[in-house]
Amino acid sequence: MRHSTIRRHQRVSAVVAALAAAALVLAGCSSGSEGSEGPQGSQGSQGSAGTSGAADPGPTGTSDVADADGSSDKPAPSGDPVTLQFFNFTAGTDHAAQLQAIVDAFEKQNPGITIEVTNGSFDTYFTDLQTRIAGGTAPDTFELNYENFVSFAASGALLDLTKAAPDAIKPDKYYPKAYDAFNYQDVQYGLPESFSNVVLYYNKDLFDAAGVAYPTKDWTWKDEQAAAEKITNVDKGIWGDYQPFTFNEFYKTLAQNGGSFFNADGTKATFNSPEGVQAAAFLTDKVGKTMPTEAQMAGKGDDVLFKQGKIAMWHTGIWMFGLLTEEPANWDIAIEPGNVQHASHFFSNAAVVSASTAHPVEAAKWANFLASSDETVKQRLDNNWELPAVINDDLLKPYMQQHPPANKQAVFDSLDAVVVPPVTEHQQEMQDIVTLNLQKVVQKQMTVQQALDDAAEQVDALLQR
Amino acid sequence: MQTEARWAVYLRTTIIAVGALVFVFPFLWMISTSLTSAGELFKLPPKLIPNPIDFSGYQRLFGNPSLPLLRWVANSLLVALAVAFLQVLTSAMAAYAFTRLNFPGRNVIFVAFLATLMVPFQVMVVPLFIEMRFLGLQETYGALIIPDMASPFAVFLLRQAFLQLPRELEESAFVDGAGHIRVFLQFVLPLSRPTLATVAVFSFMGSWNNFLWPLVVIHDPSMMTLPLGLSTMSSRFVTDWNLLLAGATVSVLPIIAVFLFAQRYILQGIAMSGLKG
Amino acid sequence: MVGDRGWRKAGLVALFLLPALLPLVAFRIVPMLASVWVSTQEWNLLRAPVFVGVDNYVDVLTDPKFHKGLVNTLYYLAGYLPLVLIFALIVALLLNSKLKGMALFRGAYFLPVVTSWVVVALLWKWILSPEGGLVNYLLGLIGIDGPGWWTDPGWAMPSIIIASVWKDLGFNMLILLAGLQAIPEHLYEAARIDGAGAWRRIRSITIPLLTPSILFVMVLTMIGSFQVFDQVYVMTQGGPAGATTVVMEQVVRHAFRYGRMGTASAMSWVLFAIILAFTVLQLRFQRRWVHYAN
Repeated sequence: MRHSTIRRHQRVSAVVAALAAAALVLAGCSSGSEGSEGPQGSQGSQGSAGTSGAADPGPTGTSDVADADGSSDKPAPSGDPVTLQFFNFTAGTDHAAQLQAIVDAFEKQNPGITIEVTNGSFDTYFTDLQTRIAGGTAPDTFELNYENFVSFAASGALLDLTKAAPDAIKPDKYYPKAYDAFNYQDVQYGLPESFSNVVLYYNKDLFDAAGVAYPTKDWTWKDEQAAAEKITNVDKGIWGDYQPFTFNEFYKTLAQNGGSFFNADGTKATFNSPEGVQAAAFLTDKVGKTMPTEAQMAGKGDDVLFKQGKIAMWHTGIWMFGLLTEEPANWDIAIEPGNVQHASHFFSNAAVVSASTAHPVEAAKWANFLASSDETVKQRLDNNWELPAVINDDLLKPYMQQHPPANKQAVFDSLDAVVVPPVTEHQQEMQDIVTLNLQKVVQKQMTVQQALDDAAEQVDALLQR
Repeated sequence: MQTEARWAVYLRTTIIAVGALVFVFPFLWMISTSLTSAGELFKLPPKLIPNPIDFSGYQRLFGNPSLPLLRWVANSLLVALAVAFLQVLTSAMAAYAFTRLNFPGRNVIFVAFLATLMVPFQVMVVPLFIEMRFLGLQETYGALIIPDMASPFAVFLLRQAFLQLPRELEESAFVDGAGHIRVFLQFVLPLSRPTLATVAVFSFMGSWNNFLWPLVVIHDPSMMTLPLGLSTMSSRFVTDWNLLLAGATVSVLPIIAVFLFAQRYILQGIAMSGLKG
Repeated sequence: MVGDRGWRKAGLVALFLLPALLPLVAFRIVPMLASVWVSTQEWNLLRAPVFVGVDNYVDVLTDPKFHKGLVNTLYYLAGYLPLVLIFALIVALLLNSKLKGMALFRGAYFLPVVTSWVVVALLWKWILSPEGGLVNYLLGLIGIDGPGWWTDPGWAMPSIIIASVWKDLGFNMLILLAGLQAIPEHLYEAARIDGAGAWRRIRSITIPLLTPSILFVMVLTMIGSFQVFDQVYVMTQGGPAGATTVVMEQVVRHAFRYGRMGTASAMSWVLFAIILAFTVLQLRFQRRWVHYAN
């Protein structure tokens, strides 16, 4: 009896040991690695540069640079039918049909290749991507925004596109700035599908009613503040201004004030300089004075408020054009005012290919088509689905003439002075540190100087880890 | 048997009824908001019955191919039913072993069972995810069902129940030559139906409401469970209340139906165990 | 033969025990052990892990944000546990009657338990909307200017607590009700015969004999409170301005948003140690106040 009990124990423990060993081994070597990202969670409705309903809410950072066993596949012989997965976060529900049109056009030109599209939601996209890659089911092709691109490329998770499909890809077609953004250490890992930036929207009717002149490209922060104050009428629920107080807006206003986020060699945070304090104050002072607090927004998004004519000036991305075709009645855009100089965001999304895909040639072809085909340009321009990153003046002309907004030139003017986001190995963590402290300033838990000093200290510690 | 005084009955019923209203009313409010048109949403005073009744939230919900709501409901139902069945089965068997079979280490193993309850699930998520991949189960129903096959909590409850069963019937069955399996199936299980039902319900609910695990292991929209699908919806349509609450309403109705159906059984069970005294 | 019976018995035990034991080992214990190993690494699932020994634990224990998370978690516990226990008890006592219609009411209280947290979070965000929400409207009717609820750092945790009590009350009520109904009727009879009034009966019979169930509810609720996650993630995501950051929200954020698997694992083990300590204390202390019938 004892004999059998011991034996049974041994058997059970052998099984357990085997399972434990297996798990540890597996935990130790995760093959196939792409970047990492987490849920866009802690930002709330005032948290991002673009808000609800947007197809492309702008950049989020990644955490870590990764290091994978990037495989160098030889191009697979075509002939057998090929299915490629394409995982994206920009089509959403608003532009799913346009993406499908592009897919259909590609499939028609390339019989034998089928594209399987998965439209992810931005909030969960990077978590999903990370866990899929960690789980070995990375999509053949997918999208990355500029911030994440650097760490994915550095990790060897992406395919060299010009090597995989040298004939198809034509660098001259693209805006140089966009094309170069997705080149890492002289290898082209991504093809820019689109770019967008942030401009100042304004409601002409509200300006007229308050007797304030419309924003021009010479405006500075002072002009914006003055106009906002004049237009704000709390009792009527009219607000002069809306600008999120997040990391994204902060590094931009910092640049608009001539400050810099890091020191020259990127080893120390310098955003708690006087320029930084002014920039942060510019953002946070608005809340409750010329900009509604979250409570005052009453559960409505900033897009809803602008549409309903409750906000006079709105800092958000050009991806909102399509949403505002009917309301409000009269609006236009202008370059965002700077203080010392102009500085605008530059957001770009690229089509990339996984280094571990089984069909590199076809995948690269698809990426190229998605980024630069005439069909893409047409779909994007006709439907206000971000701007294609290809230079195509013929197709651009009708776009420029589509109103509203009348001043589409502002989109391109903004490109003259862009600020590239500060990127580090622990991107998401750094962004959260800054955003949280700005939130604390708005909640009156810290002064601006305290918040920035504290954030700089934390970021410095982060840089050293 | 003494009956309660009239006034006491009225008082009791009133208090309970008012309390119950607090628990039921928000659901009515949810339905009401889902039928309110966007323009009327923020107008005060809020009306319980919206005027006009606007179905556009539902139209947008069902007309949207990237929101397979019914598929999500079906996934959740399938997974929750499977988990409930498996948990009842495995827990009953384990509880039988703990209460009717003697073996060395019995108590230690039982305590170990319970100890696992204290370790937060988040601790195990990542290694568990990697295990799923090893077994080729990611993005499948298997990943949602198999790790939840056993429940220490259910074992605990059933062990309690089995301990309280009168042993005479079982003992005479043994004397008559019945083996453990027969005793288990013919005596222990039938007499514990109420607790089994309770366990089934708790298992079902637990699985139904599971959020973090599906979040990690399922990304394909057609395989998502309801809470996961709803949360992707809510992160996309952040403040579109009448659409969101339309989705919430649709997702709550099936579970309420199931609950109403199962409720009688559970309550019978509780009542029976109460009368046993 | 002894050998034979031994084998048969072993087989029987295996048959009954393994279906629950194996999955538990494979899908709970093994990952737990692996997670201990992970907590000693600096690892983002992509690069190879780097051994850092106890550094993660040191970092966690000295991190003011972790302390804040712990404080928030305790705040949640302190608000949620008493409220849900007391109200569940009151409702259970009220519902403990053979009157017709009690079944209907029982169902009503249990309704929120069966709904998923995403639904409840959405619903309560809407109901607690600072402007245009039902609660503030009702408060306004009696002259109170309602707070910002989940948009206000001072009111965000109370909002979560309210939604949690609402959601979980039915569950605890059910357990307590089962405990109530297990109290033998004859004890009450004897007390009535002795002339004890209703309140006296509750104090001397009901509550003492209910203490095992109360303990059960308390232990479970306490453990669950330390692990609170779903509602925080869905309702406030730790905000506003970090006012509702609880430990588990930090764990998930560090693991999946920042890619710090090691730190996240260390954090969760620190939490486990705390839960263990509290539970042991509770169980030690129970001898003072829990009565077990026979």
